Amino acid sequence: MANSATYDAIVIGGGHNGLVNAAYLARAGLKTLVLEQRHVLGGATVSEEIYPGFKFSVFSYVVSLMRPEIIRELELVRHGLTILPLESTITPLPDGRYIYRGPDSAATFRNISQFSTRDAEAYREYSYAMYHMAKAVKYILSIRPPDPTSFDPRELLALLKLGKHFLSLGEENIYTLAKLMTMSSADFLEEWFETDPLIATLSASGIIGTFLGPRSPGSAYVLLHHYMGEIDGVFRAWGFARGGTGGVAEAIASSARALGAELRTEARVAHVITRNGRAVGVALENGDEIYAKRIISSLDPKLTFLKLVDQNELPSDLVNRVGKFDSYGSSGKVNLALDAMPELSCLPGYGEHMRGAISISPSVNYIERAYDEAKYGRFAKKPYVDIIFPSAIDPGMAPPGKHVMSCFVQYAPYQLAEGDWNSQREAFGDAVVDTLSEYMPNLKQLILHRQVLSPWDIEQTIGLSGGNIFQGELSLSQLFFLRPAPGYAQYRTPIANYYQCGSGTHPGGGITGAPGRLAAIEILKDAGKVLQ
Amino acid sequence: MSAHADPQTYDAIIIGGGHNGLVAALTLARAHRRVLVLERRAQLGGAASTEELIPGFRFNTGAPNANLLPADVFGLFRQHPPDFMQPAVRAFAPQPDGSGITIWRDTERTAMELATRSAKDAKAYWEFARQLERFAGVLSKMAHLRPPSLTQNPARLLMAWAGLALQLRRLGARDMMDFMRVLPMGAATWLNEHFEDEGIKGLYAAYATTGIMQGPRASGTAFMLLYQHMGGTLQRLVRGGVGAVSESLAKEATQLGVSIRTGAGVARILTSDGGVTGVELEDGEQIHARQVLSNADPHTTFLKLLGSAQLEPRLYRRFRSLKLRGSSATVHFALGGVPQFLGAVGQADRLQGDIIISPSLDYAEQAYDDAKHGRLSAAPVLIARIPSLLDASLAPTRKHTLSVTVRYAPYALAESNWDAERERMGDMVLDMLAEYAPSLRTLVEDRRVITPLDYEREYGLAGGSEMHGQMGLDQLLLNRPVPGSVGFRLGGHGPRGLYICGAGGHPGGGLTGLPGLLAAQQALQEQP
Repeated sequence: MANSATYDAIVIGGGHNGLVNAAYLARAGLKTLVLEQRHVLGGATVSEEIYPGFKFSVFSYVVSLMRPEIIRELELVRHGLTILPLESTITPLPDGRYIYRGPDSAATFRNISQFSTRDAEAYREYSYAMYHMAKAVKYILSIRPPDPTSFDPRELLALLKLGKHFLSLGEENIYTLAKLMTMSSADFLEEWFETDPLIATLSASGIIGTFLGPRSPGSAYVLLHHYMGEIDGVFRAWGFARGGTGGVAEAIASSARALGAELRTEARVAHVITRNGRAVGVALENGDEIYAKRIISSLDPKLTFLKLVDQNELPSDLVNRVGKFDSYGSSGKVNLALDAMPELSCLPGYGEHMRGAISISPSVNYIERAYDEAKYGRFAKKPYVDIIFPSAIDPGMAPPGKHVMSCFVQYAPYQLAEGDWNSQREAFGDAVVDTLSEYMPNLKQLILHRQVLSPWDIEQTIGLSGGNIFQGELSLSQLFFLRPAPGYAQYRTPIANYYQCGSGTHPGGGITGAPGRLAAIEILKDAGKVLQ
Repeated sequence: MSAHADPQTYDAIIIGGGHNGLVAALTLARAHRRVLVLERRAQLGGAASTEELIPGFRFNTGAPNANLLPADVFGLFRQHPPDFMQPAVRAFAPQPDGSGITIWRDTERTAMELATRSAKDAKAYWEFARQLERFAGVLSKMAHLRPPSLTQNPARLLMAWAGLALQLRRLGARDMMDFMRVLPMGAATWLNEHFEDEGIKGLYAAYATTGIMQGPRASGTAFMLLYQHMGGTLQRLVRGGVGAVSESLAKEATQLGVSIRTGAGVARILTSDGGVTGVELEDGEQIHARQVLSNADPHTTFLKLLGSAQLEPRLYRRFRSLKLRGSSATVHFALGGVPQFLGAVGQADRLQGDIIISPSLDYAEQAYDDAKHGRLSAAPVLIARIPSLLDASLAPTRKHTLSVTVRYAPYALAESNWDAERERMGDMVLDMLAEYAPSLRTLVEDRRVITPLDYEREYGLAGGSEMHGQMGLDQLLLNRPVPGSVGFRLGGHGPRGLYICGAGGHPGGGLTGLPGLLAAQQALQEQP
């Protein structure tokens, strides 16, 4: 039966990478269709009105890593993307003191000086050094990983260029980069600072979304990964999208539509249809079949290779590798609808600091102990929490005078040693609220509604295998030409016309759009087109 | 010729008569250099010594065996080769349920026995053993090359590394990628990819965390597991104890005219206008030489003997932040007979290698959790050896020596100190072992406990680090001993003529002799 292709490309999954990919394909003139299983686009990049009048950035909650070339090329600003600055971080401490880092470097200096003048000085050097490091690695974010096993001159050339790039960084930077690639974030930061809560707060960027502690080697790379957004002058370092994180997806979607892409929600793909080793279309769960010249999966590697296609179509070593791909989730999310803004006992009032992030990270050992519990299958009773009040930045997120509170929590292991998440979910929520109440005594009586998301819930709702927010750990063994699997890191798959474009591919997770864009370049290359 | 005849004329002084220092001395002497070795202790060998800690009982106080000693270091022995013994067993791990796991040199025998625990693991062991051998083989090739530096590289060195890269490609795409994938892994991840039985995973976790203050989940521990197998899966014991290796080296060296002085502690390294000129002993005597190779750890060598004043601030900071993190202690027991271990009753041949108490990955990880927070592990990983089983010369007739490595015993205790914890740890280790070998209690005649603090005090290992600096991924290759090293000396503004020739240099710790060999070769090249 010769079903003629109705589309040039079908993108499975309407997350931000899927949308970015579709937008670029449409921009190059391909008739493109995006299929999203949920009623709303965005995947983990979504805002939803979970409680009447209150909009939650349900999953991902801050923006900083979005590649500037994407914002430019897809004209996302014209399509409504507005990033509101999120400039400060305050770390309340049990003894009533606090560490404050904000846009006013003098204020930051004064605050850190109360703990250590040496650290206050070092903080400037540190920010400067990380800026350079991020700049150095930025190049890697913008290239397709070369294949070191191939003897193809183009691959060898790419490797050579890579080597030249690193050598061009200069001796000192290379040493620092080597440290960032191999050390733990705590070890790395202890070379700069002596104030434990400052080290803890900074090192927390090294554990976000990963199943590592601040003292686990490898966490320094994740730390660096979170600095990459802080370099491109386009927007402020960390920011918050107007309308919540969903605002980013809406802007990309609007751009994609304008470029001619067709976006369909509540269209769950059951599997990819192949004809003698080539992908020719998709079958929806409602039985519909849609045919296209090429199929692109923005889902995580496990879904892309083990669920959407028949494993017999794949080489056994890939099946086996993807089976072992580490996508074990470790993060939870608690979203609160509040009757009013709570107060921090260490700094009462509703000043600038409530429009920034609040970090519950009083010491490195505090975070390590939280990790210790998670290692053995228990959620942390005293977790690390990264808090923002979206409604304080964008009043549109909640009714006047009321607020939404977004709490990102480490650690919540995907698999619990005792019981399951259905029975433990609320206990986890309680542990988080109790922890927060130690710093915000009036929090509990302000809660109108509470949404608790475990890694299991994240998997259930948006499909991320294991609930891993990066579609797979950002460990050295799963980065660059090893992501998602050796030999398949260039966005293609063993099945002709079947591609991958999710965070499970290089350069990995976060709202970067980079995988979607880099995949588009490869897809268009195969289609004899170039991405303008 | 006597060392004292004309002290001005030494080509090189070696600080420390550990096995690496002696290998370096021997290598230099073979190239007709006039060499003086200065050892602070009364006996040579450093952390490769055999000592009569208890009258009649001789213990390996540092390295337990010669598993990692490579062929080209054997080559240094001409007249006085040490006598090696190779038991059929690599490791035996008694399990809490009374059973036991044995790793034999013979893969088939091991797999057959594993089959009784898990058919899947028996099958997996073949592939695991293959990977372990191939990857460790590549690692050992790397261990034999001086690390390249970012600033200065002899063409020959770059060629050598290029050749290695080519060999790596020859592994085939799959193995090459797997090698790069496994190298930065946590051992737990790698082991979980192969095995389902916790017992065998725990056994290998004990090797994977050797000399690293990290648990088996930590990135870099898969590397250590490979490193510990660079000599293959065989167990190589030394007749007369590991110290015999050092003694043989010393004999060879003296025959070539190397002067060796024991009880000669170096107080400082002498320099003038940016280059070393010699050393000053603790008794004030000054001895001059064109080159100084230090077998002491980098922390001691550069911050104590050279002195921070001699280092530009950037280099000083690098040595300050060198991670030592000693985390092992040892308990030596004098036994009245052979203990019976559950799972190996009446099968002493299973006990001739390493006897490992580490029943699961979580067990090893939890042992680390304690250490991470500055406590001696409540239930430590133990690696026990009874070398007297194969070498009666180590103990009186029908008596035996049992040496137990305890992990984790962190050098820095949060709420106590080692002088207070020493004997408590000795008791705990005995109690723990007795659970697997009930007869042990009645056999113990005496014991000596050596804490990380003792390693620092007696053997001069700063921070009690048996590896002369933790062997994490961040302190390897061109970052060993510190970033900015050019092979075994400091680049840039480091003093000329001063080399590290011990475990603080590439490839690192263990009885390999390679840092000594490679450092000496560099010293020869750089001052023809």
